[in-house]
Amino acid sequence: MASFDKGLARHVLQHKQAAFAMSNRNTKPYLEALPYTSILILIVGIPIATLLTISFWETDGLQLYPNFTLENYKEIFTSKLTLILYLQTIKYTVLTLAFSLVIGFTCSYFLVFFVKSLKIQIALFLLCTIPFWTSTTIRMISWVPFLGKEGIFNTAAQGVGLIDQPLAFLLFSDFAVVLTYVHLFTLFMIVPIFNSMSKISPSVIEAARDAGASDFDVLINIIIPLTKTGIALGSIFVVALVMGDFFVVRVMSGGQSASVVSAMKNDIDQLYYPQAAAMAVLLIAVVLAFVYLIMRVVDIRAELER
Amino acid sequence: MTGKIEKLGNAGISRRKVLKGGAATLAAGSSLMAAPMVWANNLKDISLKQVGPSFSVYPDIAEKASQDLGFKIETQGAWTDALMARVVKQPETVDIADIEFWALSKVWRSKQLQAIDTGKIKNWDKVIPLFREGKNFDGSDASRQGILPYEVQYTDAPGSESFADGPTGFTTVLPTIYNADTLGIRPDLIGRSIESWAELLNPEFAGKTALINIPQIGIMDAAMAIEARGDFVYGDKGNMTREEIDKTIEILIAAKKSGQFRAFWSSFDESVNLMASGEVVIQSMWSPAVTAVRTRGVNVSYAPLKEGYRGWGVGMGLMSHLDGLKLEAAYEYLNWILDGWQGAFMAKTGYYSSVPETAKSVLSAAEWDFWYGGKAAAVDIQDPFGSLQGSAGLVRDGGSFEDRMGNVACWNTVMDEDRYMVKRWNEFVSS
Amino acid sequence: MISSNRGPTFYFLVTFFALFVAFLYGPMLIIFVLSFQGQQGGLTFPMRGVSTHWFSDLFTSSRYGDLGGALSRSLILGVASMVITVVTCLFAGLAFRKRFVGSGLIFYLAITSLVVPGILLGLGLGQLFQIVGIRLNWFTSGLAAHLSWTLPFGLLIMFAVLNRFDGAWEEAARDAGASHWQTLKFVTIPILFPGLIAVSLFGFTLSYDEMPRSLLTVGADNTLPIEIANMTSNVTTPALYAIGTVTSVISFAVIGLAFLAISVIQKRRA
Repeated sequence: MASFDKGLARHVLQHKQAAFAMSNRNTKPYLEALPYTSILILIVGIPIATLLTISFWETDGLQLYPNFTLENYKEIFTSKLTLILYLQTIKYTVLTLAFSLVIGFTCSYFLVFFVKSLKIQIALFLLCTIPFWTSTTIRMISWVPFLGKEGIFNTAAQGVGLIDQPLAFLLFSDFAVVLTYVHLFTLFMIVPIFNSMSKISPSVIEAARDAGASDFDVLINIIIPLTKTGIALGSIFVVALVMGDFFVVRVMSGGQSASVVSAMKNDIDQLYYPQAAAMAVLLIAVVLAFVYLIMRVVDIRAELER
Repeated sequence: MTGKIEKLGNAGISRRKVLKGGAATLAAGSSLMAAPMVWANNLKDISLKQVGPSFSVYPDIAEKASQDLGFKIETQGAWTDALMARVVKQPETVDIADIEFWALSKVWRSKQLQAIDTGKIKNWDKVIPLFREGKNFDGSDASRQGILPYEVQYTDAPGSESFADGPTGFTTVLPTIYNADTLGIRPDLIGRSIESWAELLNPEFAGKTALINIPQIGIMDAAMAIEARGDFVYGDKGNMTREEIDKTIEILIAAKKSGQFRAFWSSFDESVNLMASGEVVIQSMWSPAVTAVRTRGVNVSYAPLKEGYRGWGVGMGLMSHLDGLKLEAAYEYLNWILDGWQGAFMAKTGYYSSVPETAKSVLSAAEWDFWYGGKAAAVDIQDPFGSLQGSAGLVRDGGSFEDRMGNVACWNTVMDEDRYMVKRWNEFVSS
Repeated sequence: MISSNRGPTFYFLVTFFALFVAFLYGPMLIIFVLSFQGQQGGLTFPMRGVSTHWFSDLFTSSRYGDLGGALSRSLILGVASMVITVVTCLFAGLAFRKRFVGSGLIFYLAITSLVVPGILLGLGLGQLFQIVGIRLNWFTSGLAAHLSWTLPFGLLIMFAVLNRFDGAWEEAARDAGASHWQTLKFVTIPILFPGLIAVSLFGFTLSYDEMPRSLLTVGADNTLPIEIANMTSNVTTPALYAIGTVTSVISFAVIGLAFLAISVIQKRRA
């Protein structure tokens, strides 16, 4: 009898523990996410909500008047400048994405699969991240003495006889802008892709090779599919960074191109906040749409749950 | 306003005289020392925050002032657009704002700046007539194209939101520095003399010109060029009508498409690099940029053009929240600024002081002759930090102070159609 | 790992990688070289002599504003942002392994924070602090602005780090009787450690380099990037490059320390 009672008691206890653990598991994510969520809502959520509100207000360049108006949005959507700016910025984004993806992927592929020692892998990886630590502004302006008509590249190329005239398109052009973006943002591709690749278990690859797959087959059918989270994350970074930029565009295009945000900056400088806010809301909507598309292709969240 | 000297000091002696007099004054009478001591004790714990662009707000100046005056002045660099936002939205982070006159015209209405009592400014009467009365040195009225500082200089009474039409006892800001801007050119690469703004659009220099990418300034440089070329005459280059804006932008777009412009610069060092490297031979430029290029041994000149210059100015404004001892200290500082040391310092960066007389007393004769007199330098000319700027024999481009500031055709501005203008400028730049 | 033979693919990849590294380091080397520019030299070539003039100028001349103060503020903000980012993003990342209500919203809010123009967010944040009544200060509103930039990056990197992180380890620990905290301390964190280092390095650098959001939230004292940007409007001397070199040196030092720390911890664990 006693043992049966003890058994029953232990059974009930285990059950209770399990139930407790289960309920814990339900509230755990909420608790874990609480610090992050509360900070984010406070410092981002509220200002964005303010931005949204302001975009429907009026101003006289100094005071904000909370009179609801759709005028700001109307202006944006009826101006052909908006279309030009977005096309231009999207063009930069797509080009940067393409180049940084190819370069980032190739470099990660090399590091993970062709460098034997883990220590050297990490060292080379860090090698790629170090330039990131020099101020972006300074890194950017240092391209100027390199690319200019009297810059290093042109003088060297002319000296060696490669070209007769300095190449003017190297600087203050779309080329210079995309080059700089790739220079600054490829790292954001490498980090997640490198990460994804290093998680691929070698046994999977060995099995494929034993089955007779070539390097190329392995690349296409195993590595790329298993790296898609990294690719997706890197792409999200690049899209957000390029679409939100104005500084690189302005300096490297020599002011010849405007981007969405640089056009916004003029309004901000003149204290026309509602108009700038409306532009910002549109920009955010466009980028979120891009990100949503990326998420449709690669469900990052699902990958996490495994 | 005529009894300028002392509101300051029980001894009825100008504090500055005591400090400058030094040994002589000591010898003259130790009783005089009592007054400044009381002062120094009164204000010595005060700290003022001066915020403004780095071509006007120098830590060196603040440091010297802090030494001379006995209380602390701290500086913070902020470009005019950020400064405007802070004056209007974050006034408690600023005590003294170094603000350009066109920016002042925008933010005065916010009432975050207080009117300055000119009666408390010792050297007010020595401020040049350009600011005080809106008149040129020859007595004629200064050009009103754009925003002439005089138009936003005075206000009727403390607390008023608007500007007064003529001199009153209350000024909005204390004018401090200003200059006449023109085009920078590379005479060695051009090979002939440049005399007109129209040369900016001359196809001879296609692909070798640059404009400043601040719309309010860039469009006026463009307008000077367009008018000089004879296309049409503007009513007010500083306040264009929509048709004038449209016409100007069309011309600019056409020029851009035909490859006239190499670049549009938005920061100072970009303009320096463009010129020094020879990427452009003629461009919008600022005076200190010209000197910076010269210190690299490159031959550049700041061309005096027959149509005149584009003028601008900066004034020091007191925030409305200053009162009591802090306000007193602020007035002390304002008076110190006009006393000469700051003027001499700024002269060596190429900018003029609103009270040249006092600057003259601190500059050496040779420096004065070069910077203000337009004469050939008798000695090597240095910048305020001791770097060589020009060798003996160099003549300041454009000549004397009167030659240059007396020939200002238009002033930096904010137009009534500003938003429209900026929108169209963006179209031009992205075309 | 995949090919031990040094075939043509290998050489192609090595060259590609080397070129990429050269591409990355090119400008840095230019900055490095030009920072030793002679006294008469400018921001572009040719070099006019070689000297450490600009370094000493940087530290002695007063025309560079308050670089020292700005540097210390940026460093402190960097460390603070780093710590807060790592801690919150670690837990948030762990939380995101389950789909909880609102997780999608948080995710897209984080992305929004990445893309919203910094100046506007800074403005909104500044207003918020003023309304609440907290004085605008580099360590209050400035820190908030920096976090708005680092937290989204941190979360996304945690996603990368946790991707296919095997929950089995955690379960095993719990089955063995470990409490929640013990599991965290002895199993989860050690496994995720390299990833956490990555998040912290990113957190520090992003904060250290941040400018647009800081502009309207620092209050009365500038951080280093703002100070540098202000300088560019009247300083066109190689001292600017000297700053770049000094900043890089500091970064190397920090990374070097981090690397050492990892090695030491790995050794102790093994």
